[in-house]
Amino acid sequence: MKNKFFCSRVPRRQAISVRTLAGATALLVCVLGCVSGARAGDAPPWMRAVVNAPLPPHDEKTEAVLLFSETNVNVISADKIKTVERRVYKILRPEGREYGIVQAYFRSPGEKVNSMRGWCIPAQGKDYEVKDKEAVEAALPGVDGSELVNDVRVKLLRIPAADPGNVVGYEYEKEEDPLLLHDEWVFQDQAPSRESHYSLQLPPGWEYRTFFLNYPDVKPVQSGNPSEWTVQNVAGVRAEEDMPPSRGVAGRMLISFIPPGGAGAKGFADWHQMGQWYFNLTEGRRELSPDLKLRVASLTGDAATTLQKEKRLAEYVQGRVRYIEISLGIGRWQPHSASEVFEHNYGDCKDKATLMIAMLHEIGVNAYYVVINSRRGGVGKGTAANVGAFNHVITAIAFKDGSDPSLQATLGHPKLGTLMFFDPTDEVTPFGQLSGALQANYGLLVTPDGGELTELPKQAAATNSVRRTAKLSLDASGNLHGDVDEVRFGDRAASERWALRSVTTDKGRIKPIEGILAGSLANFRVVKASVTNLAQSDQPFVFKYSFDADNYAKNAGGLLLVRPRVLGVKAQGILETKEPRQYPIEFEGPVLDTDNFEIALPQGYVVDDVPPPVDADFGFASYHSKTEIKGNVLAYTRTFEIKELSVPVSQAAELKKFYRIIAADERNTAILKPSN
Amino acid sequence: MKFLCLRLFLFALVCTLPAGVFADERPPITPDDLKMKTEPMAPGANAIILYRQVDRDDNDQTGHEINFVRIKILKEEGRKAADVEIPYVKGRTDQIANISGRTIQPDGSVSEFKGKPFDKSIMKTKGVRYMAKTFTLPDVQVGSIIEYSYTILFAENLLFDSHWILSNELFTRRAKFTLKPYDSSDGRFRLQWSWNNLPGSDQPKMGSDKIVRMESNNIPAFATEDYMPPENELKSRVDFSYTDDLETDPTKFWKSVGKRLNSKAENFAGKRKAMEEALATIVSPSDPPEVKLQKIYERVQKVRNLNYEYSKTEQETKREKVKENSNVEDVWKNGYAYGVHVNWLFLALARAAGFEAYVVYGSDRYNYFFNPKIPDEHKLDTEFVLVKLNGKDVFCDPGAAFTPFGLMMWSETGVPGLRLDKDGGTWIYTTMPESKDSRTIRKADLALSDNGDLEGKLTLTFTGLKAMELRNEELHEDDAHKKKTLEDEASNSIPSASTLELANQPDWKSSSAPLLAEFKVKIDGWASSAGHKVMLPVGLFSAEEKHVFEHTERVHPIYFEYPREKDDDITITLPTGWQVSSIPRDIVQEGRIVGFSLKAENNKSSIHISRKLSLDILLLEQKYYASLRAFFQGVRTADEEQILLQPGAPTASN
Repeated sequence: MKNKFFCSRVPRRQAISVRTLAGATALLVCVLGCVSGARAGDAPPWMRAVVNAPLPPHDEKTEAVLLFSETNVNVISADKIKTVERRVYKILRPEGREYGIVQAYFRSPGEKVNSMRGWCIPAQGKDYEVKDKEAVEAALPGVDGSELVNDVRVKLLRIPAADPGNVVGYEYEKEEDPLLLHDEWVFQDQAPSRESHYSLQLPPGWEYRTFFLNYPDVKPVQSGNPSEWTVQNVAGVRAEEDMPPSRGVAGRMLISFIPPGGAGAKGFADWHQMGQWYFNLTEGRRELSPDLKLRVASLTGDAATTLQKEKRLAEYVQGRVRYIEISLGIGRWQPHSASEVFEHNYGDCKDKATLMIAMLHEIGVNAYYVVINSRRGGVGKGTAANVGAFNHVITAIAFKDGSDPSLQATLGHPKLGTLMFFDPTDEVTPFGQLSGALQANYGLLVTPDGGELTELPKQAAATNSVRRTAKLSLDASGNLHGDVDEVRFGDRAASERWALRSVTTDKGRIKPIEGILAGSLANFRVVKASVTNLAQSDQPFVFKYSFDADNYAKNAGGLLLVRPRVLGVKAQGILETKEPRQYPIEFEGPVLDTDNFEIALPQGYVVDDVPPPVDADFGFASYHSKTEIKGNVLAYTRTFEIKELSVPVSQAAELKKFYRIIAADERNTAILKPSN
Repeated sequence: MKFLCLRLFLFALVCTLPAGVFADERPPITPDDLKMKTEPMAPGANAIILYRQVDRDDNDQTGHEINFVRIKILKEEGRKAADVEIPYVKGRTDQIANISGRTIQPDGSVSEFKGKPFDKSIMKTKGVRYMAKTFTLPDVQVGSIIEYSYTILFAENLLFDSHWILSNELFTRRAKFTLKPYDSSDGRFRLQWSWNNLPGSDQPKMGSDKIVRMESNNIPAFATEDYMPPENELKSRVDFSYTDDLETDPTKFWKSVGKRLNSKAENFAGKRKAMEEALATIVSPSDPPEVKLQKIYERVQKVRNLNYEYSKTEQETKREKVKENSNVEDVWKNGYAYGVHVNWLFLALARAAGFEAYVVYGSDRYNYFFNPKIPDEHKLDTEFVLVKLNGKDVFCDPGAAFTPFGLMMWSETGVPGLRLDKDGGTWIYTTMPESKDSRTIRKADLALSDNGDLEGKLTLTFTGLKAMELRNEELHEDDAHKKKTLEDEASNSIPSASTLELANQPDWKSSSAPLLAEFKVKIDGWASSAGHKVMLPVGLFSAEEKHVFEHTERVHPIYFEYPREKDDDITITLPTGWQVSSIPRDIVQEGRIVGFSLKAENNKSSIHISRKLSLDILLLEQKYYASLRAFFQGVRTADEEQILLQPGAPTASN
């Protein structure tokens, strides 16, 4: 048994290591677990009133249910809003203990959490109470780089005895000087909800406007001042693989607070106005310091064409400015100035976009912000303008004289000409292309005239591709050997580049090839291998390798059994679940993969039987394969294409069938028999 | 006020030092450093550490450590080395001062780091702030040399352990370390140090000036691999600690420690009369010795073990009014205890039953492998009980949840331990379980359908440490989670999409009984067609071996937590009229530490497949990796063998 009774007689401390940072989240839980206890106090009446209420519909996997929530918003003025948040959960399963951690996010400066209290009503015994002084403040747990910033923080409080069967509740008050006269009531989350209320108190003469997302309109149960909305028995959102982001499926109410005469700079009624608001928020941020101007000149001075200059700047901002994976700046929206980003040499997505736009402007090129969600499926044509829709910022670069044909991510704009979309944050997707998640995704194009909700271009499937060709030979013992060329484009290349970023040895760079081989071959040996264009993201990424695979073909009663699909796995099991699919399947992006394998057969054998060809086209995707005999060569070819980026729930069964067809084809075997 | 003044003075003193008191010892950057493109000893490296220097001075009211690093960027990917983060704890312990850095281009031009390091709070609570100093060095290109230094100022009046971790993710060409230890005027504290895996013949040595020094060259980049021993065992490192035990001879040191620990345990366990009364409620006088001991073991395991309870807030703990146990009689009466006291209750009861029993203090192998030659009491971090049963040593750890009688937690097996007695004790080694002690048995009765689906019943039986592992993982989980865990355990072993439904109520509470789970299972399309024939792969439970040791290269030794065995017994009933055309030959690979057999039998209307994989490995030298990899390649090859079936009309069989 690990003992716990040693203590050092000399005060000791292990030197904190880099791992301390990675362990910060775990540390939070420990620290919260160690806070000294407050005196027990009775839970408040609003919590006690729902303890024995019937639970909302749920199943055995439900971790907790929300018995009651109340969001009371008091708009005191355009500069001051107070919100009181109350929630009561019943914990149903051990995983539901996380509902006993109260989390209140706030930006600093601009927001503060005035008070925070929590209670537990255990199934047996007296109530527990914890107060503000037990809370801790922290950077955002689980967000890489969040330790670098102080302007988005979280206040955490652990409620005692958050165990299955017990009821936990909390209340906190947040006060803010709002950047926007706007709020979002999220009444659908993972936990099924019994009853949720939202009330709004406005100053005299003010009005409000609501819009519901992913949920039918809810009329206020009380109109006037205050106004109040209620929803009951709202189902929980259970995560599924490759589902749309929460914003695309979970019910929420968007609400704008409109003072007499309009919200002015603190509000917007549509995407156009939201664009104006964002443009104003970034005003003055794109000025260049003398040092930054010098840097632009040094980067572009010897470039012959505007396109070359743009590529130089893109390479600089993508690769030389450190990215921090957190929304920095006021309310996650206002970027730091381009000069500041240049000076510090780091920034988040909107900082990098700002620097890119400013540098392009210096060489006479217009570029614009595009505010977007990093996952497709959260925003559509009919979505009302709202700040929460997006979590990422990229750029749209205007081409005066049309665009270069090598640039894929382009769109014709009636006023601005050809726009090319470019993500300065994504250092493995080259200039001229977009990652799959941003393709056919809706973003807000921000111009001096206002905003436009714009569907970004979907690139040709062939731009995201693995093209694998292999020339192999089989001997009579069943051993296979030969050479493979694997050329990767788009996200298929980006993912390999990203994985190899931190590999520090030549031998380490071969490991992904071994991973590919191990996925399909039981017994192999890499004879030689190389990686080409690892750092040149504007070039195809290439693996070239030769391998030996002993006993690849199986001897069965004098026959040789050979699987023509030597390498690569396209079948997926994401829909092989017991529960029926609830949400659409979002593919990462369009895909067109091809395999061409030629296997020279051993002397003394002829083909007895080959697998039948497969032609599966389900509209959203297609798969074609065939095995042919060409002289003494067994030739296997296949194409796998993702054509539509989203598959609705109604077609989930077809997608499952599609993957099963592929799985069967990938297992199919050709039979060789002795020729005499 | 005096305290504050002193603190400020020291801070100011260090801040006003040049780049570091040892700065003049740093070697200059040479033209070869500027020109270098590759490092022959680190082929393919993105970046390497050209020089690293750590100078620590504990002999002050406030200790401090100056760190200097010089890195050569060799590839694009290496530029991320310019992003520097220095984590530290503010408030109770240390501060970071004197940060400086610069980038030197291949032409010798220098860009100084002029920015202000960002000193950002990760978290604050109760006066402690977890902080990070973060900065990015400017203008870093392939070919650049970057260097930076900083000083850690430690809190006053405290002595801390320190470590020279030589291994880094980057290759290090040269490193230099010094430590000026605290020199207590009354001689109360003594510095001791140990090292592990140092390159070549490098060793830390204390000079006549009482400073410990070491230089090291060509330290390989450290990378992690699957199935590797604890990192602490593999990294090149020197560990320093201060102790107030002035004994330096390991034998005398451990004797002294053993006497003290023995006294502590005996004082706690020495309640003979109470234990005899308790024993009478557990065993019958007529029970044979083994039965008696097992009954005691099982009874003791029922004591509420406080080590395994879900973490509680202080408020909850107070409300529970859990009193501290002073002796085994308290434990018996209260019915709860921490694991160590559960073990000591077992010790006392075993002795009351007439067994010769000892407390053993050992060192588990979670984080490092213990070396008794190093006199560090803190490394003895686990304890258990040795009982003489019918002349044999039986190690028992009832304080570790779900440990079956006769086994121990994997981390306590095969480790040295100090068997305590009044004279201090004797070093012994704990036993190692065998693979047959921890088995996963998969018995399947399935029917093959005309369209290639398999459907039927699957029974999984886990024994020994495998059962213990699962029971511990699920200790705080509910039935739904346990069900999913078992279903995942089963489906993860099948290399094809499968649907499983747990059909029984497994015994999660027992330590001794195997964990048995029954499933209804369906595997769609397991058999595939090949012209007029059908192929049925024999490796139904082969998925877990698919990616084991897939890489050719291996740097570190191979390490398994405990020996284990998998036994498969599969019966597949064929559709009516189907015949077996061909069946793979039997495969047997019996080695001293690994074994594999696969046999498929044609029983006419059904096929029977038996498969056994046993691993009796704990630690294997790197030089045997190729053989081990070949063994697993052989396993995978065998698992891919196919049974050739002829649907419908009968055909010749081999």
